[in-house]
Amino acid sequence: MLDLRRRSLVRRLVLIAGAWTLVVMLAAGVFLTAQFKAAAIRRFDSSLAVLTDDLYAGSTIEDGQLRAPVLTDIRATRAYSGRYWAILDKSEDGAIRPLVRSRSLFDSDLMLASSQIDQLDAAPGKTQYFDLRGPQDKPLRAAAILARLPGYADPLVFVAAEDRSPIDADASQFGRITIFALSILGVGLILAVVVQVRFGLQPLFRLRREVAAVRRGKAERLDGIYPVELEPLAVELNALLAHNQEVVERQRTHVGNLAHALKTPLSVMLTEASQQPGQLAEVVERQAQTMREQVDHHLRRARAAARSQTSGERTPVEPILDELAVTLERIFQDKSDGQGIEIDWRCPEDLAFQGEKQDFMELAGNLMENAGKWCRGKIRVEAAPQGEARMLLTVDDDGPGLTPEERSQALKRGQRLDEKAPGSGLGLSIVDELARAYRGSVQLGESPLGGLRVTLDLPRAEG
Amino acid sequence: MRILLVEDDPDLSRQLKLALADAGYAVDHAPDGEEAQFLGETEPYDAVVLDLGLPKVDGVSVLERWRRGNVTTPVLILTARAAWSDKVAGFDAGADDYLAKPFHTEELLARLRALLRRSAGHAAPSLSCGALRLDPRAARASVNGEPLRLTSLEYRLLHYMMMHQGRVIGRTELVEHLYDQDFDRDSNTIEVFIGRLRKKLGADRIETVRGLGYRLTPLAGEATD
Repeated sequence: MLDLRRRSLVRRLVLIAGAWTLVVMLAAGVFLTAQFKAAAIRRFDSSLAVLTDDLYAGSTIEDGQLRAPVLTDIRATRAYSGRYWAILDKSEDGAIRPLVRSRSLFDSDLMLASSQIDQLDAAPGKTQYFDLRGPQDKPLRAAAILARLPGYADPLVFVAAEDRSPIDADASQFGRITIFALSILGVGLILAVVVQVRFGLQPLFRLRREVAAVRRGKAERLDGIYPVELEPLAVELNALLAHNQEVVERQRTHVGNLAHALKTPLSVMLTEASQQPGQLAEVVERQAQTMREQVDHHLRRARAAARSQTSGERTPVEPILDELAVTLERIFQDKSDGQGIEIDWRCPEDLAFQGEKQDFMELAGNLMENAGKWCRGKIRVEAAPQGEARMLLTVDDDGPGLTPEERSQALKRGQRLDEKAPGSGLGLSIVDELARAYRGSVQLGESPLGGLRVTLDLPRAEG
Repeated sequence: MRILLVEDDPDLSRQLKLALADAGYAVDHAPDGEEAQFLGETEPYDAVVLDLGLPKVDGVSVLERWRRGNVTTPVLILTARAAWSDKVAGFDAGADDYLAKPFHTEELLARLRALLRRSAGHAAPSLSCGALRLDPRAARASVNGEPLRLTSLEYRLLHYMMMHQGRVIGRTELVEHLYDQDFDRDSNTIEVFIGRLRKKLGADRIETVRGLGYRLTPLAGEATD
């Protein structure tokens, strides 16, 4: 059983319109054909009535004998021409006897059924119309009148009849034309309904596309302009989206707060443990370290979960590299016997990352911090557009670098660590994890400065 | 050496007080932001260990208020929030170092020692050019007391220009002082750095002398001392 509620709206509307059109068209066809036929028969009848009148008016009685008028209609003289007349005698005992008849009748009679005679009898002098079977069993239309003539004892019946098949043919011809014309009209109307429905439902399809875009993360909300009937739905959907985002945001803040709140007690435990000798202290310290790693891991997870909600953000790269360079030089100011480090960074002013600012800061910050840890004093950072939709972030240092084996090892380790637990000696696993979330990639290579070169491929926001 | 410890957790405070005292520092403790701000402004500390999550006034605000009130005491920030955006915000507010919780006490003590050693460097005369001021000892620069955030290459360029203020300095000369010798960067290096300095100092302080180079001058109306 098909659930009617699942039926397509378009189909539903078209079906209703189609069924209704069919009913109306049928009714109109039947009505029109009937009207046409009735009018044709009325016209036919009135010409027959004239003939009957002529018969009646032109007939005389001479010496008790009926003399019929001379009718000039040629059709009444040729055999089976289709036009006939007769004058019948109705005797006292009810027997009907033809007195005179047209030559066209040839060897047959124009006889009325007794019920028809009774009908005439009931209203003498009034013309009445009948359907008859005539010569060669042709359908006839007849006009008859019952009247008396002076000098003749019995009442006489004057009958004029004509083959009615031309009217029937006309009527069915008219019927066919009507059906044809109405069919065209009906098909036209249904087509109009289809077009109307398709066009009318267009905003609904647009709404669906926009919602899909939101789900795929291409848009944050519905921005389209909708007809007044749909506008409230769009508003409600936007409110729902906002509510969802708020809930996710709240959860994320919640996880963040929880994680951060755990860090002070962990500090206390670590400090206390490091100051006490014995096995208990060792266990506490080890466990506290594990907890710390777990906390960091879940913080990142919470951020990643929130990230899938929005990715339409555009983050200019230049100010972030500037901030990070200043901050990292501060952090490493005691390195190289108090010489500190020197970060030389380059970036086109209009370059922007397609994603969240916080994430880009984590990506670039971790790479630069890693370089800061291993360098002897110099770091170079270069951000550059790559093709239409990508950008490259390259971080070089002048440290010891990695051998090709170590490099492939470092990335492998990063991948394996992503699936299990957090933490990597190079700090690259966080970067790798984040870059993947943005469908980017990390590559390790040899730096012209002598150390490690890390290249990050990331999505770029349009300018 | 006198240290101000700002931390609201009683256990951590007790531990840190003990550790700092053991290391030979005199320690004052402030459990909330208001008291911390007051103590920092009134007492001559050699360094501050500042937790960021504080009752009443949060740590970053306390730090910002100190720096605005010309309290230059070196500050080491302790915080549970270790995202790069938080670190950058901390340094922006005027922190000198940063330690993420949870940490080992030894690491805190080592950082503190380094911080004190740095700030104890002998006084060197500061350079000024109008409202622009550069302190070679701390490697800091400021305009009207507002600290500038410069990378070391930007600082080095500004330092050289301040030592030769009023004079037109050619590009080659600037490149030679910007980089040691062994790296030659592309030809527009100097334009890039001058551009960034202008963004941070204000566009009018560095003048381009067509065909010759650049000149650093005080703004019209600024007193030169």
